[in-house]
Amino acid sequence: MRGTKVLASLTLAGALVTGVTTGAFASAHATPAGKVTLTGKTSGVKLTLMFGSSGPAETAAVKAAAAAWGKKSHNKVDVIPASNFTQQLDEAFAGGTPPDVFYLGSQQLETFAKQGELLPYAPLVAPAKDFYPALVKAYTLDKTWYCVPKDFSNLALEINTTMWKAAGLGAPPTNWSQLEADAKALTRNGVVGLDVGNTLDRLGAFFAENGGSYMNKQDTKFTFDSSQNLQALQFVQSMAKQGILAFPPQQSSGWAGEAFGLGKAAMATEGNWIIGAMKSSYPSVKWEAVPMPAGPSGKKGTLTFTNCWGIPSASKNTAAAVNFVKFLTSFAQQLKFANAFGVLPSRNAAAQAYAKANPSVAAFVAGTPYAMAPVPTVGFSTVQGQFDSQVANLATGGADPATMLQQLQSNAEALLRP
Amino acid sequence: MAARPMPEPRVVPAPGTTNHGRRLRLRRSRRRGSSTAGQNLHGWLFVTPALAILLLFLVVPIVLALYVSFTNWSGVTSPFAGTVQRVGFSNYAALLTEPGLDQQLFGTSLRDNLYFVLFTVPLQTALALWLAVIVNNRFLKGRGLFRLAFYFPSVTSSIAITTVFIFLFQSSGAVNQILGLVGVKGPNWLYDSRGIFTVILANLGIHTPPAWSNHLFLGISLWQWLAGPSFGMCVLIILLTWTTSGTFMLLFLAALQGISAEVEEASEIDGASPWQRFRRVTLPMLRPALVLVVTLGFIGTWQLFDQVTLVGPYNQSTYTPAYLSYYVSFQDNAFGQGAAIAFLLFTLIVILTVVQRRFVKEDLTR
Repeated sequence: MRGTKVLASLTLAGALVTGVTTGAFASAHATPAGKVTLTGKTSGVKLTLMFGSSGPAETAAVKAAAAAWGKKSHNKVDVIPASNFTQQLDEAFAGGTPPDVFYLGSQQLETFAKQGELLPYAPLVAPAKDFYPALVKAYTLDKTWYCVPKDFSNLALEINTTMWKAAGLGAPPTNWSQLEADAKALTRNGVVGLDVGNTLDRLGAFFAENGGSYMNKQDTKFTFDSSQNLQALQFVQSMAKQGILAFPPQQSSGWAGEAFGLGKAAMATEGNWIIGAMKSSYPSVKWEAVPMPAGPSGKKGTLTFTNCWGIPSASKNTAAAVNFVKFLTSFAQQLKFANAFGVLPSRNAAAQAYAKANPSVAAFVAGTPYAMAPVPTVGFSTVQGQFDSQVANLATGGADPATMLQQLQSNAEALLRP
Repeated sequence: MAARPMPEPRVVPAPGTTNHGRRLRLRRSRRRGSSTAGQNLHGWLFVTPALAILLLFLVVPIVLALYVSFTNWSGVTSPFAGTVQRVGFSNYAALLTEPGLDQQLFGTSLRDNLYFVLFTVPLQTALALWLAVIVNNRFLKGRGLFRLAFYFPSVTSSIAITTVFIFLFQSSGAVNQILGLVGVKGPNWLYDSRGIFTVILANLGIHTPPAWSNHLFLGISLWQWLAGPSFGMCVLIILLTWTTSGTFMLLFLAALQGISAEVEEASEIDGASPWQRFRRVTLPMLRPALVLVVTLGFIGTWQLFDQVTLVGPYNQSTYTPAYLSYYVSFQDNAFGQGAAIAFLLFTLIVILTVVQRRFVKEDLTR
């Protein structure tokens, strides 16, 4: 009967065994807010850096940065590009040997911070005003700013300029009715006007454009079932039903960028990561990005996705780690990362310099003042998964926008209950 | 099994044993007591490495996982850290008794997996038996080649095969292209979460569920329970039937080759037709192999995981408890909930296996 033990629980068990064998069942290292004491020397130290890489370009850039800092400060950095990042990070923390520096998505901040695993070192690196306020807010919990934003990506509207000209269209759309008319004009010869990822992480942009939101300003209440959100989702559904908007699975694509690159869709709503993908996979496609169009209220909106440099409170070398992050988030290094793999620098000054030198990213940077960050609440991933699983059914009428939002609201509210 | 102490080895001198055997017997009879203890000690010594490995990598993790299922451990600390709270049965209650998303997802995963089991086990058993009978035919030319060909899917990486299937069953993939040639518009296989029974009823003109079927069980309505496997699950049923039948074919083949040719010849002389021979002679003699294949099939199909992982989390029409356990653990850092799902699945498999064994036993004594 040994065979009946399920694979999943063995995976769990594996994580637990790591904890046993390293003998690291120490208590958590909680650090009270505002009082950060750094430990360890600042030179002659060996640090580890774990990150989830988007590809060879990012891995090479991070390794080069680590080597440069190591040489300058007489330290050594062991760079670990993780293949399954969240899982490997969990295992490292559960085993009591977390990496000294790691990538942390804003959605995961609560999970780590609430367990007292995260060192709130950020104010030691630079004043908050040097960074975009939305990004600082994303890494602030109970008025404690935990970690320095690494970089970010915003959604914008990508347009295939060849198809655009062939359809005889003029200026890019700035509002929904123009978007709808343009998508209609572009839908021909088997090409669909607009491809949108079938997830809240893309449709949420339409919520924001219509003045809707995920949560209230204080992040204490969910606001999914607002009339603005409903109107936005109904707009998406009506476009999908007309066949002028498609979701990637309908076009046999893994993501909207693939359908866009292969010429199956004339427009897409993706983030600046699409720049690298277009360059490497579809270099012959001529395209440009414009800011997301505004909703009927005239409000601008988009979504932002960001990572920060996390430092665990259990690290024995926090002094060196903070110095390392100072180097990584410096103006010059942020520009190097941006040029290497297309992320937007989190420092205001660096982002503006980058946009000036690269006009193609201007549309992505433009959204920063009003961009909306993902829901930070612990456990939201499953709730969002439930919503995402129904999005593709909007096209067939198999899913009802009002029901979807009500379910999303009640499932999310259940997370806030103690 | 390994925990049982070794039985005392019995030394029985075979006829014609020489002095060596007699000497051994004499020595044993002289110092019987201490020798038994010594042998026990040696026995334990030899099984200790295996026991230690089992204990460390099997027993300890299972016990720890059981403990975790009663906590709210998030996976980023040690499970015994001060911030981890013991929450009693609330992880189990959220799955079984409290209405909510957790229960709804668990119910959905059980539904999806149940249909997978109900379709896959009979199909793979029948296909494996059929293939075994074919390649067991003495007059078949190139038997070795066929055996290899039928067994091949079983030894190919499930990840590779699933990836190929994902390409085949894309909305504009090869399968839908072929269906298009005969004028059928194929569904978007992997993303269509409608159950096939629902689709059939809709084609017959029944769109709205009758009132009785709105009753909820484990968070989803009876109408949803009766919806049948989704198109995505049908793809996985085809995939798994194809890949597992090779292994089970080998089991049947071994059993078939254990049936002596005389038995078959005797029935032939008695005037049995080929079908009668198969139904009345071959099949009853294959019974032990059949029981084994069905049991292994039931256990294996309830643990569907890697294929589901590849098909993707977007699609809840191919959820399984094993995948859900992984998903809530590593995506939501709800390891307590994940462990609870794993233990409920474990319980379910044990119960089903016990029921099946009892059923088969009664059948045998009849």
